[in-house]
Amino acid sequence: MDAAERALLRQTIDSAVAEATARAVGGAPVGDAPVGGAPVDGALAQLGWREMLQTEPRDAVEIVFEVLGQVNATATALDDVVLFALGVDPRDDRAVLLPPYAEWHPPGRTDRGATSGCATARVDDAEELVVVHDDGDGLGMAIVPRRAARVTVVRGIDPDAGLRVVEVDRAMLGEGAPLDNEAWEPAIALGRRAVAHQICGASRAMLELACEHARERVQFDRPIARFQAVRHRLADALVSVEALDACLAAAGDEPGPETAALAKAVAGRTALVVAAHCQQVLAGVGFTTDHPFHRFLKRTIALEGLFGTADEIVVDVGRRLLRTRQVPTLVEL
Amino acid sequence: MSDAAPPLEVAEYRTALARWLDEHHDELAPRDPLPGTLDDHIAQMQRVKGILYEAGWMRCGWPERVGGLGGSPMLRTELGAALAGRDLADPGLYSLVEVLAPTLIDFAPPELAADVVPRLLSGAEIWCQGFSEPATGSDLASLRCRAAPEGEAETASTWVINGQKVWTSLAQYADRCVLLTRTGAPDTRHRGITAFFVDMDTPGITVAPLEMINGVREFAEVFFDDVVVPTDRMLGDLHGGWSVAMSILPYERSSCFWQRIAYLYRRLELLIEAAPNDDRTAEVVGDAYVQLHALRARSRATQHRLAAGATLGPETSIDKVLVATAEQTTYDAVRRILPGALAADDGVVGEQWRTEYLYSRAATIYGGTLEVQRNIIARRLLDLGSDE
Repeated sequence: MDAAERALLRQTIDSAVAEATARAVGGAPVGDAPVGGAPVDGALAQLGWREMLQTEPRDAVEIVFEVLGQVNATATALDDVVLFALGVDPRDDRAVLLPPYAEWHPPGRTDRGATSGCATARVDDAEELVVVHDDGDGLGMAIVPRRAARVTVVRGIDPDAGLRVVEVDRAMLGEGAPLDNEAWEPAIALGRRAVAHQICGASRAMLELACEHARERVQFDRPIARFQAVRHRLADALVSVEALDACLAAAGDEPGPETAALAKAVAGRTALVVAAHCQQVLAGVGFTTDHPFHRFLKRTIALEGLFGTADEIVVDVGRRLLRTRQVPTLVEL
Repeated sequence: MSDAAPPLEVAEYRTALARWLDEHHDELAPRDPLPGTLDDHIAQMQRVKGILYEAGWMRCGWPERVGGLGGSPMLRTELGAALAGRDLADPGLYSLVEVLAPTLIDFAPPELAADVVPRLLSGAEIWCQGFSEPATGSDLASLRCRAAPEGEAETASTWVINGQKVWTSLAQYADRCVLLTRTGAPDTRHRGITAFFVDMDTPGITVAPLEMINGVREFAEVFFDDVVVPTDRMLGDLHGGWSVAMSILPYERSSCFWQRIAYLYRRLELLIEAAPNDDRTAEVVGDAYVQLHALRARSRATQHRLAAGATLGPETSIDKVLVATAEQTTYDAVRRILPGALAADDGVVGEQWRTEYLYSRAATIYGGTLEVQRNIIARRLLDLGSDE
């Protein structure tokens, strides 16, 4: 896909998601109300998202998840991404068990009697659930019927994020096929990139809200955008967003577990920096639920824990540097 | 073995260069005991440039009319990064090639460029950049060093320069200076500036080196007292000096940054070789590594845009903020992990980390302070209007 095709596709997905969103909330402006769920999933399916994922995975993941982040839409497309990377056909009625919150190892620890992890809202109505489990001497993958799973809705900091906690009885995993140990890494890598793109879109949205506010809000007889203290916070937020954007491009150009891990770590750090600066600039106005800022703040905090937090990834990466005594450059000109 | 001409395709060049540098390691490696004085570092850089020019590597990516072999400017970037990453040339000193040679190529009379650029590339000469003044730091357009025509400005054959520059790197070593002067009325700001290419042995030039906080006398005050310069040494148009100064930005913010990044990766590697293997250290080095990666990813994207024909502009202020903060984070990591080496070791290792650590404090100051970069980002990229 060239740049023009990508731009057109982005526009198409943007308006389809926005329209589905508006349908879901009865015409309220984007970002003002909880959005998404089935209408957004339906719109993506209609646009051929799963086919795009098969033929142009990089562009599909980038565009769809940036849009979801930017309009704060809730969807279950992450299931498709992880299934695709695991080599399993994504389907409407097929959910996948994600790692437990803030972790990235395979969800199944069969020695605990039950296997637990996170899931998107797709698990609610799915027919089957794909479970990658680690029984101590190798990975296995089982496709279990939905009724084998106990699903708990997580409200958490962002009740609209569609997060679930799922437990599967270990007895139900018995017939799973062995899975190559290498098969989990690409699933984590692509999942991390998808979530990082979503955080990137949400970070840009927060920055736009804060800039708009800074231009319009008048204090001491001038727009607060004229105060350097305000400008510099917003400038630093943009620096952070653009650094994340570059990390995501690098992860797309040089796909692999390392570039994806770094992109996810930078996404976590970026969301923190951007949210802190934007919240301070939005001040009292952004501290109310009348203003849409809070939704992006809460969503990025919720997303930050999927496939490991930035802090955990940074330590993990640092341990590897110390173990190998090497500092790989990962991307070249 | 015989050395073939360097390949001009970027990835091939990178691979062939790495092999060549490995093969010629003994010849290229610094000869003076570490950590080395500034004299040592400069001698090393000039020697390495001479060897690389002779072998053709140093001529790649430069136009043929100034003694180059052609090819993408990215080849220069690869060379600078390879030298910095192997500690064969200090990137701060080496970067003067990258900021000053293009100025001559773009703005000097062709015969002057053809004469002098090869001398810079081959290590025969050192040049300096006379921009900053005591009252002109971040606010470059306020500079006052005066150039007056002998006769009418349009027809004068010589100009007389009076004034002072400061923080001029390597001025006491330099053979030439790319100098910004005031040729318009004092209040003409960026409209009344003209650039000259001045021989540093011209009568009337006095250089007084300044000691930096790390004890190195890398930069200097330069005084101009009735210094006579011929008009054919004018770079660009009369009163066109601002565009000369601004033309440096794309080079400074692309290839020079890439060299600096290679150097910082090498610094992190040296730190890791000496670091304890524990979780606190993992967090500190992991954090520095993540920042370096983000910077490298950003710089790579910028250089791809440049290579595709884009004009680099205010968005490179983002690169500048990232490079400055990543550099300081890297050396902060040194301070946090090897506090004894930095503060209380009088051996070679302590001396080297200390010198570099202190130098890194300037990263958020030179080339436009971080505050200036943030102002540019706010006005030009975030559309927040003027701050006045």
